[in-house]
Amino acid sequence: MTALPLLPAVAVEFFGSGLAILFSFTALWYAWALVRLRPDNFIWGFLFYFCIAMAAFSLSRGVGHMVRIFLVYSDHEPIWKKLSPYSGGFNTMLMISVAAVTIYYHKGLEAYKAIRAKAEKLTEANTNLATSAEQLRQLNSHLEEMVEERTRNLSESEKKFRNFFQNSKDIIYFCDINGIITNINPSGIRLLGFDAQQTSVNFHHLFNNANVLERYLAELHDNGSVSDLEMQCTGKDGTTRHILLSANALYDQHGKIIGCEGIGKDMTRIKTITEQLINQEKMASIGQIAAGVAHEINTPLGIILGYTQLMMDDFTQDSEMADNLKVVERQTTACRRIVADLLKFSRQSESEKSRIDINRIIEEVLSVTEHTLNLHQISVIRRFDANLPAIFGDAEKLHQVFINLFNNAQHAMQDGGKIILQTGKTVQDVRVSVEDTGTGIADSIRNKVFDPFFTTKEVGKGTGLGLSVTYGIVQEHGGTIQVESPRIDPTTHLPSPGTAFHLRFPAIAKNNTNDKEHQ
Amino acid sequence: MSRELQMNKYIIIYSIGLTPLLLLGQTETAWALQSHSAPEGLYVHQMAHLLFMGALAYLYWHTRYSPVLISKGWKYLRLFCILLFCWNLLAFAGHQAFEHLTSSDFINKNNLTEQIAPPLSFVKVLYSVTKMDHFLNVPALLTLTISLRTFYLEVLKEDSL
Repeated sequence: MTALPLLPAVAVEFFGSGLAILFSFTALWYAWALVRLRPDNFIWGFLFYFCIAMAAFSLSRGVGHMVRIFLVYSDHEPIWKKLSPYSGGFNTMLMISVAAVTIYYHKGLEAYKAIRAKAEKLTEANTNLATSAEQLRQLNSHLEEMVEERTRNLSESEKKFRNFFQNSKDIIYFCDINGIITNINPSGIRLLGFDAQQTSVNFHHLFNNANVLERYLAELHDNGSVSDLEMQCTGKDGTTRHILLSANALYDQHGKIIGCEGIGKDMTRIKTITEQLINQEKMASIGQIAAGVAHEINTPLGIILGYTQLMMDDFTQDSEMADNLKVVERQTTACRRIVADLLKFSRQSESEKSRIDINRIIEEVLSVTEHTLNLHQISVIRRFDANLPAIFGDAEKLHQVFINLFNNAQHAMQDGGKIILQTGKTVQDVRVSVEDTGTGIADSIRNKVFDPFFTTKEVGKGTGLGLSVTYGIVQEHGGTIQVESPRIDPTTHLPSPGTAFHLRFPAIAKNNTNDKEHQ
Repeated sequence: MSRELQMNKYIIIYSIGLTPLLLLGQTETAWALQSHSAPEGLYVHQMAHLLFMGALAYLYWHTRYSPVLISKGWKYLRLFCILLFCWNLLAFAGHQAFEHLTSSDFINKNNLTEQIAPPLSFVKVLYSVTKMDHFLNVPALLTLTISLRTFYLEVLKEDSL
């Protein structure tokens, strides 16, 4: 069995010792650099001390090994014998030091963690404090500006909504739970017609129809809102207004209704126009029917009348038969007159139109009827425009228009009164108003007054064709006729008892020389 | 001053006062100082190796299971702990093996041609292997260096951000 050479082991020991010293000091350099970068970091501090101990140990051990090899293999073993205990002692001591540093690491790390946690909390608290202080400082410095800006914004907003409230053409109102109006805009005051100084107005009392009010309150209570509810109210001036109402209930913090806010749109004008359009359509239809009937009846009536008159020649004047034939002739003539009126209403009758002064036409009618009117204690007030432009029309038919209107006025003023006649002009029209101070026309029949055969007179006292004929003649002249009841007094602008008929005829332009036309 | 601190104060005063009296007395039979015989140095050294191993094991365990130590540098440090632990074990074994060898087990002792005399035994082979402990020691220190360098570069990178 061969011996085992120790030279390789000695070589490894020698060079390994050198490398161990080199690496341990390199590690120490990095640890030192780390501590320089992060002086407050405990872990890098620990590694630095650990590396010091390791470097000292490696140095002690490496130098010891190298010195031993040098001394022993150069026949200086006695010297090494003396140095050896010191080298071993150092090595032992430094190993214990490395172990001690590592054990110390445990407690040190715990303390470091605790301190760091507290430091972090403190830092966080400081940061929060600094942030709060900065916010407080900014708030203090900008408080005045912020208040100013907020006030300005609030003022602008208030102004914007105030303008909207004040200038809106619709009714905007607020009322409490009992319906007492707490705030209403000028349009509301004007449209509803009550006094601005009036302290307490109950919105619920403005409803003309109790059923509509009930529906309004029920919907507010059940749904919290009302949409597009059509209500009618009568303002202080007595005029009936049609309002399209939308409202929302207002609640307190407990969800209890404390009032409401709403917007109302005045639909009176639209409703009137709609009614007029419907009425015009209706009149046109009736006119067509009337014209057809009149034409069909007119011919047989003419034949009946002709034969009656022929037969009357065959009998003596005093005979019974002649008397009977006279009755037939009279009634047939009455029928023909009705037919003629129907034709006038339906604008089927012949006309002879010329340039006409409407004031003169009215005077001509009054010259015949005024005496009768005066006998019935009816006075006629003339408010004629002397510079009235001429119109193009049939004088005879226009006579009939005013005769019919005066007859109606007389009928409405059984105990006397006034007929106010007013003429005027606009750029293109001639306007005539015939007003009476009579009983007026009820709302329910106002839309029927121009219907053929509609009459409020007793049976046998009127055919119900007077206003129909008037309507037809005015239409034939390209004009319009409107009824107003109760009438608005032109001087006081207040509703007054009675009826007013407003007529409008197209005026002839001054350069129009064609002053006669046959139709 | 608390009661305990006052007691300590009295003990120190009495100790300082009594020491000269004791030194002036008969010391031959006191045997106050213990002598240190030859094997004590080896025992202390071996115990130091064991302590070192314990410390390295603890360092490994702590760095392995501490959730905040996630850097790559700690992996190198743990490798250093393993290698140096093994080195300690090898050195411990080498010291023990050397105790069982005599001068007759060496040929040309204290010469570059020094050899372990045959017949080779487990202890002789173990001793020759442990003589090359630097194969563990040097890589251990290299991994320590790499670990510290990794930490250093990471901190530099953090600072540059």
